[in-house]
Amino acid sequence: MTEKELFTMVGIRPEPAAPKKKVSRLKGFPWISVVLMSAIILCCLFAEVLMTKDPSYLDLKNFNIAPNAEFLFGTDTLGRDIFSGIWYGGRISITIGFLATLISTLIAVVYGSVSGIAPAWLDTLMMRFTEIFLSVPGLLLVLFLQAIFGEANVLTLSIVIGVTSWASIAKVIRTEVRQIRNSEYVVASKCMGGKFFHILRKHLAPNFIASIMFMVVMNVRGAIGSESTLSFMGMGLPLEIISWGSMLSLSEKALLTDSWWIIIIPGAFLVTLLMCLTNIGNYLRKAANRKESNL
Amino acid sequence: MKKNPFVYYGKKALVFLLSVFILSVAVFYISRLAPGDPLMSYYGERVEKMSVEEKEAARDKLGLNDPIHIQYIRWVENAAKGDFGISFKYKQDVMEVIGQRIGFTLILGGIGFVLTFVGALLLGVLCAWYEDKWVDRILCKGGTLLSCIPEFWLSLVLILVFAVTLHWLPSSGAYDIGYKDDVLNRIEHLILPLIIVVLQHLWYYAYMIRNKLLEETRADYVLLGKSKGLSKKEIMFKHCLRNILPSYISIMAISVPHVVGGTYIVETVFSYPGIGALSYESARYHDYNLLMVLCMMTSILVIFCNLIGQIINEKIDPRIKANEVVETSEVTKV
Repeated sequence: MTEKELFTMVGIRPEPAAPKKKVSRLKGFPWISVVLMSAIILCCLFAEVLMTKDPSYLDLKNFNIAPNAEFLFGTDTLGRDIFSGIWYGGRISITIGFLATLISTLIAVVYGSVSGIAPAWLDTLMMRFTEIFLSVPGLLLVLFLQAIFGEANVLTLSIVIGVTSWASIAKVIRTEVRQIRNSEYVVASKCMGGKFFHILRKHLAPNFIASIMFMVVMNVRGAIGSESTLSFMGMGLPLEIISWGSMLSLSEKALLTDSWWIIIIPGAFLVTLLMCLTNIGNYLRKAANRKESNL
Repeated sequence: MKKNPFVYYGKKALVFLLSVFILSVAVFYISRLAPGDPLMSYYGERVEKMSVEEKEAARDKLGLNDPIHIQYIRWVENAAKGDFGISFKYKQDVMEVIGQRIGFTLILGGIGFVLTFVGALLLGVLCAWYEDKWVDRILCKGGTLLSCIPEFWLSLVLILVFAVTLHWLPSSGAYDIGYKDDVLNRIEHLILPLIIVVLQHLWYYAYMIRNKLLEETRADYVLLGKSKGLSKKEIMFKHCLRNILPSYISIMAISVPHVVGGTYIVETVFSYPGIGALSYESARYHDYNLLMVLCMMTSILVIFCNLIGQIINEKIDPRIKANEVVETSEVTKV
């Protein structure tokens, strides 16, 4: 029995291994996800080059056709080419994802910072409000906002999704801000007459950005998922505006005719993109934690 | 510092009542202010043939012409007497409509919740036991993939595979016509929705268990146990698992409404006649009275379960600030 085994048996904490030469900062970097996601985004950006058909053209002679040489991914129940629709509609899905996240992050940053800096009573009030906000069924809020905006388009749907998904980021920001609000540099800045937004930009934001990056990426994922779910349920984009969600809203009809390609193909793209976002988000979370433990 | 239990629970109860009150006002206003004609759901197509006067009379009869705060006060007065009004769409007492449906959701959500609770525990322990071995890695990868799949799409794929292609299971409803009392028939209809409910939540909780257990295995008392000669099994189940169980239970308490109440999409896709599908319908057709009660039910459940979770947690570990648990639980919704 070697000395090392003996120690392990007795239960002494094993000697820490000699420090590795240099752990690359890119260790565990999700290469595959980043490449895949960039590929999908690029293809969507240059959809016009890739498209073989007009994605909104209703080809009534060739509806519900299984994938073949002419229609690479087949056609849907209205006779639209799915291959072209994927790229064209992906653009809209991804736009909504980023736009909604931008909106929700902006709200969260302002709300969270105000709540973090505010006196205790206001802070409690604001946090209670987020709790109540979170317990109102999301479906009701979405329907209410939709009803105000009328027929949904890309912008209104982004606003609806953004406005309903800021609360959890705001809570994290508020906790972070509360920890640093009394540090000398913030006080100094205040004494020199720094306005709220100046302090937010120069002092608060750089501190909490690492801890919310993961949540922001997850928010993009959530927004793209919400778009598809809402459009599928008939509460999001109408059929004429092509997105992955509105393409999937034809699924019920597709089930009746056993046309698997209408359901599987747009869904597969959706899931791939969401998976890439998750991997990137997880990497960011680990990266943020790694930083903390070094301090 | 010892707290007076009456003050402690009184405070909690007060917060609970206040939240419920604000919530009811909010939901009431939101649902009344949302554009859309409730007469449509009451009279259906006939509305279009009604004259302006008839419409006015109908609005008066249903009390839709009063200012909103009067409507609200009237609603509260009636609700206190147990009268929640009638559903515009079903022309029945709201409670009756809900009563017919709630059993279906409780069965679906309840069984789903128990399966998720037990399944997540087993999976989490399995992953922690085989940390970084292939079992753990495969489960982690699979779980991440699963958590990325939108609920409705997974439902569609399962219907496509098991109902349309293989003809093994029915694709919609809670039972076939004429088989109302046939338990087997009902179970058949329950399988696919149940799979969706469980898969939707399973990995989040399993992953949480795994991480908590891994954190626990790095504690010093594990070394002590090891040096005492305890086996891996004994340490894992008698000590580590026991330490994380209380916090798991409190988190599961908070998650009751997510799992049991979060069945809108599954029920709609599978045309399962439960509360979720009913809420969706009532919101779309402006069935105010019904919507109001349904929203209040879910929200009260959410607030109540959060409270229970907080109390459990404060009892177990007084250092934990009440809010922290809630925060971790909400990451799921992102």
